[in-house]
Amino acid sequence: MIDAALDILASRYAYALLFVLLGTGLYMVIANENLVKKLIGVNLFQSAIFLFFIAMAYVDGRAPIIEGKSHGVGEIASPLPQVIVLTAIVVGIALTAVGLALIIRIYAEYGTLREDTLREVRADE
Amino acid sequence: MSSVDLLLPLLVAVPMLLSTVPIALGLRFDRTGWSVAALTTTALVAATTTLANVVYTDGVVTHKLGGWSPAYGIELVLDEFSALIAVLVAVTAAGVLAYTRVGGPRGNTFYSGYLLLTGGLLGISVTGDVFNLFVFLEIVGLATYAMIASGDGPESAVAALKYLILGTVGASMYLIGVGLIFMATGTLNMGVLAEVLPAAVERDPTLVRAGFAFVFVGFSMKVAQWPLHTWQPDAYQHAPDGVTPVIAALVSTAYAYAFGRLLYSVFGPEFLTSTPYLTELVVTVGCVSVVAGSALAVIQTDVKRMFAFSSVSQFGLIVAAYGLVTESAFIGATIHLVGHAVIKAGLFAAAGLIAINYDARTVDEYAGLADEHPIVAGTMALLLVSLIGIPPSAGFVGKWYIALGAVEAQLWPVAVVILFSTLLTLAYSARLLEKMYFTPATPLEAPHVSESVATDGGENEDDAETAAGADAANDGDAGARGGTDTAALEAITANRDRNTVSYGMLALVVATALLAISLGFAGGFLADLLDPSFITEVFN
Amino acid sequence: MSESILPLAAVLTSAVAVVLIVASYRRPNIREGWSVLAALTQFGIVFSMLPGVLDGTVYKWSLQQSLGVEFLAGIDFVLRADLLGMLFALLASFLWIFTSFYATGYMRGLDEHDQTRFFAAFAASLSSAVGIAFAGNLVTIFVFYELLSLVTYPLVAHDGDREARIAGRKYIAYTFFGGGVILLAGTVMVYWLTSQTGTATTAFESGGIGALAEGAATDPTAAQITFYLLITGFAVKAAVMPLHSWLADAMVAPTPVSGLLHAVAVVKSGAFGIARVILEVYGPETIRDLPLSVPGIGEVGLNVPLAILAAFTLTAASIIALRKDHLKRRLAYSTTAQLSYIVLGLSMLHPYAILGALFHIPAHAFAKLTLFFCAGSVHVETHTDYISDMAGIGKRMPLTMSAFTIGAAGMAGMPLIAGFVSKFYMLLGAGYVGGEYWLFAAALLLSGVLNIAYFWPVVYTAFFESEDRHDAKPLLEFPAGGIRQFVGDELATDGGNRDEEPELNSDDDSGAGADSDADSEADYEFAVDQYPSDADVPGGPGGSSAEGDADSGVKTGTETAGTGHDHGHAVAHDDQHEHHGGPPAGGWTRHSPLTESTWLMLGPIVVIATGAVVLGVIPGHAAFLDLATEIVTSVFDANSLEQLRGPLSAALEVSTQ
Repeated sequence: MIDAALDILASRYAYALLFVLLGTGLYMVIANENLVKKLIGVNLFQSAIFLFFIAMAYVDGRAPIIEGKSHGVGEIASPLPQVIVLTAIVVGIALTAVGLALIIRIYAEYGTLREDTLREVRADE
Repeated sequence: MSSVDLLLPLLVAVPMLLSTVPIALGLRFDRTGWSVAALTTTALVAATTTLANVVYTDGVVTHKLGGWSPAYGIELVLDEFSALIAVLVAVTAAGVLAYTRVGGPRGNTFYSGYLLLTGGLLGISVTGDVFNLFVFLEIVGLATYAMIASGDGPESAVAALKYLILGTVGASMYLIGVGLIFMATGTLNMGVLAEVLPAAVERDPTLVRAGFAFVFVGFSMKVAQWPLHTWQPDAYQHAPDGVTPVIAALVSTAYAYAFGRLLYSVFGPEFLTSTPYLTELVVTVGCVSVVAGSALAVIQTDVKRMFAFSSVSQFGLIVAAYGLVTESAFIGATIHLVGHAVIKAGLFAAAGLIAINYDARTVDEYAGLADEHPIVAGTMALLLVSLIGIPPSAGFVGKWYIALGAVEAQLWPVAVVILFSTLLTLAYSARLLEKMYFTPATPLEAPHVSESVATDGGENEDDAETAAGADAANDGDAGARGGTDTAALEAITANRDRNTVSYGMLALVVATALLAISLGFAGGFLADLLDPSFITEVFN
Repeated sequence: MSESILPLAAVLTSAVAVVLIVASYRRPNIREGWSVLAALTQFGIVFSMLPGVLDGTVYKWSLQQSLGVEFLAGIDFVLRADLLGMLFALLASFLWIFTSFYATGYMRGLDEHDQTRFFAAFAASLSSAVGIAFAGNLVTIFVFYELLSLVTYPLVAHDGDREARIAGRKYIAYTFFGGGVILLAGTVMVYWLTSQTGTATTAFESGGIGALAEGAATDPTAAQITFYLLITGFAVKAAVMPLHSWLADAMVAPTPVSGLLHAVAVVKSGAFGIARVILEVYGPETIRDLPLSVPGIGEVGLNVPLAILAAFTLTAASIIALRKDHLKRRLAYSTTAQLSYIVLGLSMLHPYAILGALFHIPAHAFAKLTLFFCAGSVHVETHTDYISDMAGIGKRMPLTMSAFTIGAAGMAGMPLIAGFVSKFYMLLGAGYVGGEYWLFAAALLLSGVLNIAYFWPVVYTAFFESEDRHDAKPLLEFPAGGIRQFVGDELATDGGNRDEEPELNSDDDSGAGADSDADSEADYEFAVDQYPSDADVPGGPGGSSAEGDADSGVKTGTETAGTGHDHGHAVAHDDQHEHHGGPPAGGWTRHSPLTESTWLMLGPIVVIATGAVVLGVIPGHAAFLDLATEIVTSVFDANSLEQLRGPLSAALEVSTQ
């Protein structure tokens, strides 16, 4: 039983690690009062997903894109997840940029980055 | 088919590329954004209707981007289901543009965002690739966040950030689901996925189910299902008045469409029904949203916020219909998607019009609106009536099919919730109707009985001109009416000076109301669009 | 079956009138002219179909066949003028003609606000009512049923004050619960049940939908639930207990609304819907074949619980009506009771009972409309709403109160007035069935007695009492169960037993009059003089009835203690409702029948009251009985009514031959 668990952990340690990272990111989003840190949490969360895609990218077979030439058959890195992650990173950066722009605006208007203070300020208005 | 499929990538690429034009031109000219956007959306309307025409006569149109094989390339597909949504997106985008010309936030960057949003929404409708769908979800999200934040007050930035964080988490959840499904099948193309998924389910059901769970949670957040709806009321309330109609009508609709597409074209009815507790879960989330959304809508004081909660409830109806997995329910969900989009666009446009011109934003401020502005109030009443689902209207047709689906599935509790949703919708709609029509504008006037009789006579004439020449240019008139009472009316007059109702705004609101009613007669037509090919393909 | 655009034209006439009325809102005369014109046109169109329908032609207009538009997948939007539909459409459109005159007089007499909205919504209601009559399937009837709820809402909430808004809320909640929820559920269920055995349909068929009968055979429980869903959906508008309470509250609406809509069009649409369900959706035979098994009793016909509910309603509502002092509310409870006559007759299933019930639709409509018109005309002329203020009003409004008497007699089922004929047939039907159905016959008879009990006091007080000398009204003024002192010691009514009076006050505020002394009476008189009730009636002869102050001073001194009840009563109402009803200080002035009110109101009253008598004296010549007979014979597939005599099973045998 423990052996089996250890075995899974040994062979799939990457997944376990990634989901810890995922959880950390999500926790930051939920629990942290600082808006910038919330956004960092979102980034962490997304990074974990990117790593998850990379980690699973090993497939049996040959590279699909190169037609006709049969290179070595065995475990190779599928190019598809790489492409996906590249795209997702771009999307993630765009989101971070928009998020930071919003945070700057909020800071300029309310003079705070903390959500609890923000809530008080807004309640007073 | 010839080369009509080339229109598909253009549908997405053109608005996105053109979204840079307003900014570029903005370096030299001040107000070009609207014209660029208007030209683009008009072209899109033409393109989508052409494509839809081809789809409904000759069948599905597909386009392989770059000529790559669908196994690893991106495929764009327009079938009976997506053609409906694509036309809806293009038409609504073009229609709301007429509204934003005067009412909305102006400026070139706004129109860049608008075009980006339109491109993203069309992308969601036509894509045939699950990862590509994620990218379009995020593009739509980005454009939406930016547009919400373009509101005047700082509140809109807070609302946009809240939406950004929750929306990104939701989309990321969906991405995890895509990753898990990719692990199980090794492909991202929807068509191929549908073929290989059954085998993958047999091999490793847990993996596919986990993938489904993440997809479901992600979309529950994006579609704003209770309890993951919290971003929506803030976002809708604080978004600029010209933005809310398009967001409320299209963004959630496109997300809900994407969810339906995944459920029925990728996972397939068989997976849905054979997985234990899956349909029960989906239906429960939908039903709870129906009840919770309506209940929360009833207690709101802000009109736009009330409509936002109403959206939670209406999309609950759609999600519940998805979970029923019967043909009628699916048709109902699709029709309700379209019908609700039209109705909500009209309602938010009307609410925006009233807010901009008459400065009424809360339910209480709507008191006596019908006497002052009969056309706007009448249109709003018509839209509310369609939302309740009083026939003949768009709301009724969707509800009929969904209720029929629930009965066919013999899920009686669901049928009860769906039918009672009429009463729940009535609860908040009637509140607004009563305020507009049967509550005097200023309670202070009440004691002067004789004076108020004179008021009636005077106002009648006033209404006459309003009816004849639109509410636009009777500033002087409003002054004359000021004879009855002072403070409140002066405020209105002052407001009118600042802003005038454009014919475009009024025309859009009236047109949506008429469309909502005429869709009530299109129940058979809409069902026919889906029925012969798409439905039988999915359900057999 | 013949294709015709006439049914659609009948529906659209008043819909077009809505547009015209709204468009000409600046010219009241033209606006009301449209209303009258639409009423006449609508009646003309409906009437032109009558001979054909009586000969067995069915005029049908279908959206799919004429425009190629499919309303819902597998469901057509059909308007069909058949026998049953004709009965209701003819009634509604005929009575609308007179109501539109009356409404003009009423609304102008009271100088009401928002008259355009009122007349527009009124025309729209008629459009929906005729739509309900001509609907050819359950979905079409549902569409118009919902529209009717919607367009009558502005009429109920017309006043726009708190009371009207609350009544409006209650009205809309009840009707949409019945329509949008329950009736829609039933319609969907019918569609589903029929789809299981063949082509899904909701179209009405005389004697029951065939596919539904098959579906019911395979799934009896679902069929039974569906039956009650449909019945409940319609019963909300038919005000069957326990879903009746909106009706009394809806009486805040202007009287023409209470009259035509809440005594004829709206509530009858509920009763009419029940008739459709029983006769043309399920059919008597299917209903008989679906017995409920009740634990402890055994098998009970599907119709029996409905009949019991109706019998209970008609008794209970009559008893409640006894204690209502507000005339319109009393009439509302009377309507509740009378509608249950119809429901009871239909649910007894026997052809004669059904015939009686169907004939009761017009019979009650004529009589009740007369009563409402009278109540409205009294309200316009004298602002009197409460029966206790009406002593001697027969002098002031002789013609109105005579018409009221005719209507009341019709309600009670006196021979020679319309109500007698229908009740006679219902009793015959109950008699033919026999058995426990005698109970229903007893309920009908008892209700007749109760009808007299609550209408006679109105007539009596109007004609045989005078302002300053009238009896106490024990049912109204005393707490339930009565007060001993009044029974035991009449002479000491006021002077004696002072020590008990405080208790009296706390019991019932209407009894407060008992301790009124000279001072409070003086106050009361002053109150009346300060706001002379008739002075603000423009154009009406009421202005002349404003009396001299000197007169009242004399009267105060001479008043007997006995009138204290009445006046205290009026004071209490004044506090609550700000109404200034009751006789002017000098008593009612005597008017001739020709000058008591405007002819805009008197004319309709006379015509409708005459109609009620005509229906009672020569029912065979007034189309409605013919229609009802034809309906019954076609449902039971018989050649003549005589064949259907005998018990229910024999009557159903006729249909299978």
